[in-house]
Amino acid sequence: MTTAAAVYDPQLPGGPSAVAATARQVTKAYGSGETRVTALDAVDVDIQRGRFTAIMGPSGSGKSTLMHCLAGLDTVSSGRIWIGDTEITGLRDKQLTRLRRDKIGFIFQAFNLLPTLNALENITLPMDIAGRRPDQAWLDQVVETVGLAGRLKHRPTQLSGGQQQRVAVARALAARPEIIFGDEPTGNLDSRAGAEVLTFLRRSVDELGQTMVMVTHDPVAAGYADRVLFLADGVIVDEMHAPTADSVLERMRRFDGKRTS
Amino acid sequence: MLLRTSLRSFFAHKGRMALSLIAVVLSVAFVSGTLVFSNTATSTFSKLFAATASDISVQPPKPADDEEPQAGDKPATVPAPLAQQVASVPGVKTAIGQVMVGNAILVNPATNKLVGPTSGAPTLVGNWTDTPRNPVKITSGHVPQNSGELVLDADTAKKAGLGIGDKVRVDNATGQHPYTIAGIATFTTTNPGAALAFLDTATAQQVLLGEQAYTSVEAFGDGSRSNDRLKADTLAELGSRYQVKTAAEQKADNTKAIGSGLDFMKYAMLGFAGISLIVGGFLIINTFSMLVAQRTREIGLLRAIGGSRRQVNGSVLVEALILGVLGSTLGVAVGLGVAVGLIKLMNAIGMDLKASDLEVGPDVFVAGYAVGILITVVAAWIPARRASRIAPMAALRDHGTPAEARSNLVRTVLGVLLTGGGAGLLVLAGTADRAGTGGQLLGLGLLLTLIGFVVLGPLLATVVIKVLGALLPALFGPSGKLAQRNAMRNPRRTGATAAALMIGLALVIGSSVFSSSAVSSASVQIDRSVGVDYIISGGQAPVTAEMMDAVKRTPGIDHVTTQENLLRTKVQLPGGQNARTDLTAVPASFFGSDFHPTVSSGAMDSIGRGSLGIGETFAEDHGLKVGDRVTVDYGKGRTQTLPVGVVFQKGGLLGDGSFVGLDALAQVVPAAEQPPVWTFFAKAAPGADVGRTLTALQEALQQYPQLTVKDQAGYKELVQSQVNTLLYLIYGLVGLSITVAVLGVVNTLALSVVERTREIGLLRAIGISRRQLRRMIRLESVVIALFGAVLGTGLGLAWGVTAQRVLRDQGLGTLSVPTTTVVVTLVSSVVIGLVAALVPAFRAGRMNVLAAIATD
Ligand SMILES: Nc1ncnc2c1ncn2[C@@H]1O[C@H](COP(=O)(O)OP(=O)(O)OP(=O)(O)O)[C@@H](O)[C@H]1O
Ligand SMILES: [Mg+2]
Repeated sequence: MTTAAAVYDPQLPGGPSAVAATARQVTKAYGSGETRVTALDAVDVDIQRGRFTAIMGPSGSGKSTLMHCLAGLDTVSSGRIWIGDTEITGLRDKQLTRLRRDKIGFIFQAFNLLPTLNALENITLPMDIAGRRPDQAWLDQVVETVGLAGRLKHRPTQLSGGQQQRVAVARALAARPEIIFGDEPTGNLDSRAGAEVLTFLRRSVDELGQTMVMVTHDPVAAGYADRVLFLADGVIVDEMHAPTADSVLERMRRFDGKRTS
Repeated sequence: MLLRTSLRSFFAHKGRMALSLIAVVLSVAFVSGTLVFSNTATSTFSKLFAATASDISVQPPKPADDEEPQAGDKPATVPAPLAQQVASVPGVKTAIGQVMVGNAILVNPATNKLVGPTSGAPTLVGNWTDTPRNPVKITSGHVPQNSGELVLDADTAKKAGLGIGDKVRVDNATGQHPYTIAGIATFTTTNPGAALAFLDTATAQQVLLGEQAYTSVEAFGDGSRSNDRLKADTLAELGSRYQVKTAAEQKADNTKAIGSGLDFMKYAMLGFAGISLIVGGFLIINTFSMLVAQRTREIGLLRAIGGSRRQVNGSVLVEALILGVLGSTLGVAVGLGVAVGLIKLMNAIGMDLKASDLEVGPDVFVAGYAVGILITVVAAWIPARRASRIAPMAALRDHGTPAEARSNLVRTVLGVLLTGGGAGLLVLAGTADRAGTGGQLLGLGLLLTLIGFVVLGPLLATVVIKVLGALLPALFGPSGKLAQRNAMRNPRRTGATAAALMIGLALVIGSSVFSSSAVSSASVQIDRSVGVDYIISGGQAPVTAEMMDAVKRTPGIDHVTTQENLLRTKVQLPGGQNARTDLTAVPASFFGSDFHPTVSSGAMDSIGRGSLGIGETFAEDHGLKVGDRVTVDYGKGRTQTLPVGVVFQKGGLLGDGSFVGLDALAQVVPAAEQPPVWTFFAKAAPGADVGRTLTALQEALQQYPQLTVKDQAGYKELVQSQVNTLLYLIYGLVGLSITVAVLGVVNTLALSVVERTREIGLLRAIGISRRQLRRMIRLESVVIALFGAVLGTGLGLAWGVTAQRVLRDQGLGTLSVPTTTVVVTLVSSVVIGLVAALVPAFRAGRMNVLAAIATD
C-alpha cells in the first residue's frame, strides 16, 4: 500500500487543503406554506480529507438530504457548499454532472449496478463515461482489495447482495474521486456481508487515503468511522470522534432519552 | 372488482394505451371506410340503374360460348324493325330503338383536345331518345334535329369549356365527324362519370354503326303486366335469338360491371387495412407485454395470495376489451372520414358520388367492431397467458422471465422450420418451370419466411445486434455500449418492435426489386428486339387509315407497320384438340427489321410466307414444333390451316402470343371484318434525326388527340411510369405500416425508459450527462430500427429475386437490384429510429435524478 500512501498525505505541507467538503448555513426546505418541511436548518459541516465520517440520526432527520446536497444531487434553499475548492451551489446541471463524474463516488443502499453490464464494466463505468482510461495498476489493486478478482465477468444478477455492494464500492473507488458518499451502503446486507464491506471501506480510507462519508442507522457501522455527526430535525446536534459501536449506542440512548423527556 | 381494477389500470396507462389505440383505430378505420365507400358507391349506382332501366331491354344475341367478344369489334346490333316488333307485344306501351357505343371519342376541333374523361370512365355516343326514364334532360338548347347537331352532357361541357353553338367532333374508325352543339343535357341522376353525347337517330346509325340498326331496343310497359311476363311474351314473339332482360336483370348486370371496377379500390383499401392490422397487432402485443411485465410483481403477489390464472388473464383481457371497444368506435367514426375522402377522390376522377349519401349499413359496425375487438383481445391474450404462467415466486423475484429456455427452444425449432421451409419454397419457386406454380410457391414461401422471421426475431435480435452493435462502443463510447446492451436486453420485445418495421421494409425492397427488374427487363428487350423507332397507340377509338397516312407522310419516316389483334383465338392442333391463343396479324415486314425477337426454332420470315409463329411456352404446352399444321378458327365459320413456321423463345417482349401474316388473314377474312388497329409502329428513315422526327410526328398527329406517340426512350419511360403507379400504391401501404411501426418503436422506448427509471437515476448520479443519456436512448432506437431494416431488406431481397426468377419468362428476364432504394431504406431506418427516440429521450433527459433513484 505504499503507492496509496504516496498519493495523499494530509501532513505534507502545500498539499491539498484538509477539508474535502464544506457546508455553510445550508438550509433545505420542501414545499411551502402549511406543508413546508425544513429538512436541513442552517447546517455547518466540514468533511475532513482522508477521513471516514458517519452521519447518524433518527429517521426523517435529514441525513439523506444532507448527503444529497453535499454531493450535488440536490439543490439547497440557501447556504453554500464546496467540494474541495469548488463551490457547487449555483453550478448548472452540466457542471454538476461533470463534478459528480470526476470528483464524487456513490454507493447507494441498493440497486447500485447496471444489470446489462458485468462487474468490471460496472466498475469502470464512471471512467468510461468521462472518456478516461482507467489506471490499470490502480484498478487491479482496487479489484484485489475488494476480493472480486474471480468475479469480474459476472453480471450483477449472478452476484450475491454483498458482492454487489463490493462492486459498487470498487466502482466508487476506481475512479479515485475526491470524496465518496454512501447512503446506508450496508443497509441491505446481513451483518457478515456488512462487516466485509465496512472493513473494506475502512481500509480504503486507511490505506488509500480515500475520503468517505456514510449515512447509517447502525451503531456497529458507525463504529468503523473516524467521526460521527448526529443529526436531529435538520440540525447537527452532536459529534463524536473515534467512536466505537458501544459509545455510539450509548450516545444514541442518551439522545433518545433527551428527546422523549 | 375485476372491471374496476382494469379500468383503473387502463387510465393509469393512458399514454401507452393511446399508441395502441391509434393502431386499432387505423385498422378499423380502413376496414369500415372501405365498406362504407363501397356500400355508398353500390347504392348510388343501383339507385341510378333502378331509375333509368327500361322495363325490358332487347339486346343482340349473346356471343356463343367459345366466341370471345373482341375489343374494338363493331358493336353488336339488332335490326331496326325489331323495335316495331317489340312494340307490338301486348302490354308494351313504347319500344324505343337505342344506339349507344363506346368506340368513339369526342374532340374539341378548336384545340384538338379530347372532350370527356381521358381515363377510367367511358365516353358514350348514341342517339337521342325520348324514353320515359331518361337519365338526362335537356336544360338548354334543344334535341338534335338534323345530321349536324349534337347534345352534350352538362358536366362534360363545363369541364371542356364548351357551350351551345360550339363545334365538337366525333372520331371513330370511320373517320372524323363534325357537329355543332345544339343542346346541353343535365343528369337527372348521379353522374357516373361518363361523358354522354347524342346525335339524331339516323345520324347515329349511319356514323356510329354504319347500318340501319340499333344496339338495343328498350321497351316500357303500360303497367298491365309484370316485367317477367313482358319478358316471356317478348321472347315468345321474337324467339330466343335475342337477349331479353328485365329491369332487375339490367340493374344486376350494370351493378356487377361497376362493382368490378370498384373492386380494385376495395382490395387496395383492404390491403391497407390488413397491413395496419398486422402491424398494429404487434404494437398491441408489445404494449400489453410491457404492461404485464411492469406488473409482474403485482401479478406474482396476486397469484401468491391465491388469485387464479384466470383472474390474472381476465384482468388483462378486460383492459384489452376496453381498448378494443374504444378503438373500434373511434375507428368506425374515422372510417366515415376515410369514406368521404375516397368519395372526394372519385369525384376528382369524374365519378359523381355524393358524400351526403353515405350508406352506413350494419355490416360496417359488425366488421369494424369484430376486427377491432378481435385483434386487440388476441394480441393482449398472448402476453397475458405468458404472465399467468409465471410461477408466483419467480414473478415476485423481480423481472423474472421463466420458462424462457424451453420456449426459446420451441421458438428456435419452429422459427428455423418455418424459415427453412419458406426458403425452400422460394428456391423451388425460382426454379419452377411454370410461372403459375412458381407464383403459388412464391406466395406460400413469402408467407412462411415472413412468419419464420417474426418467430425467429428475438433470437436474431441477440445475434444481429451483437454484430451490429459491436461498432457502437467504438463509435459512441459508453452511450453506445449501454445502448447495445439495452437493445439486447429483452430480445422478445426488440424482436416484436422490429418485426413491425421489417414487414413494411420487406415490402418496399421486394416490390422495388420487382419493379426495377420489370423496367430494366423491358428496356433490355426493347434494345434487343425492337427495330422500329416510334410506337403510336390509340385511345378509346381505333386507329384509322388517315392516321397511318399522316404518319407515313411525315418527313423522316421510312415506313409504318401495323398489327391487328385477335384475342383468345381458337386453334385446332394436329391431334384434334382445341386451344386458345392471342393471335396477332402482322404485315410481312413486321419480323426482321422492325422486330427481331429471339427465335427458338424455325425462321422468322416464314410468317410473311403464310406460316404461323408461336411462343415457346405455347409450343411446349401443346407439343407443337415447326412444321406441324394448325387450324386457326377466325369465327363465323372461317378457318385456315397453316404450318408452324417459327417458335419464338420465351421471355421475349412479344410474350407468348401467336403471329400470322396479314396476307394469310386476308385470304379468309375480308378487310371490313378484320379487327381494327389499336397500335402501330413507324421506323425513321436512315439518317433521319430521331428526336426531330418525333416532334414532326407529334405535329402531324395533332388533330388526333387520342393518339400518343413515343420513341423508344419515351416508351421505356411509359413502362417505368406504369410500373411506378403500382409502386406508389405499395409505397402508400408501406408508409402506413411504417407509421404504425414508428409508433411501436416510440412505445417500446417510452416503456423502457419508464422501466429503467432507477438505472437512469443511477447513471445520472455517477455522472452521465443528459446528452450522453439521450444519445444512449437514440442509439438503442436506431439499433432496433436498423435491425428491423436489415431483416426487412434481407427478406425483401429474397422475395424480389424469387419473383423475378418466377417471371423470368414472362418479361422479367433481367434481374435488377435497386441499390439506391436499399441504401435509402437502411438510411431512412436510422432516421426512423432517431425520430422515434425524440420524445422518450427528451423525457429521460428531463428525469429528476433523486426522484429516479427513489423510485422502486
Ligand atoms: N422530496 C421531498 N419532498 C418533501 N419532503 C421531503 C422530500 N424528501 C425528504 N423530505 C422530508 O425531509 C425530511 C428529511 O428527509 P431525509 O430523507 O433526509 O431523512 P433521512 O434522515 O434520510 O431519513 P431516513 O433515515 O428515514 O432515510 C423528512 O421530513 C422528509 O419527509
Ligand atoms: Mg435516508
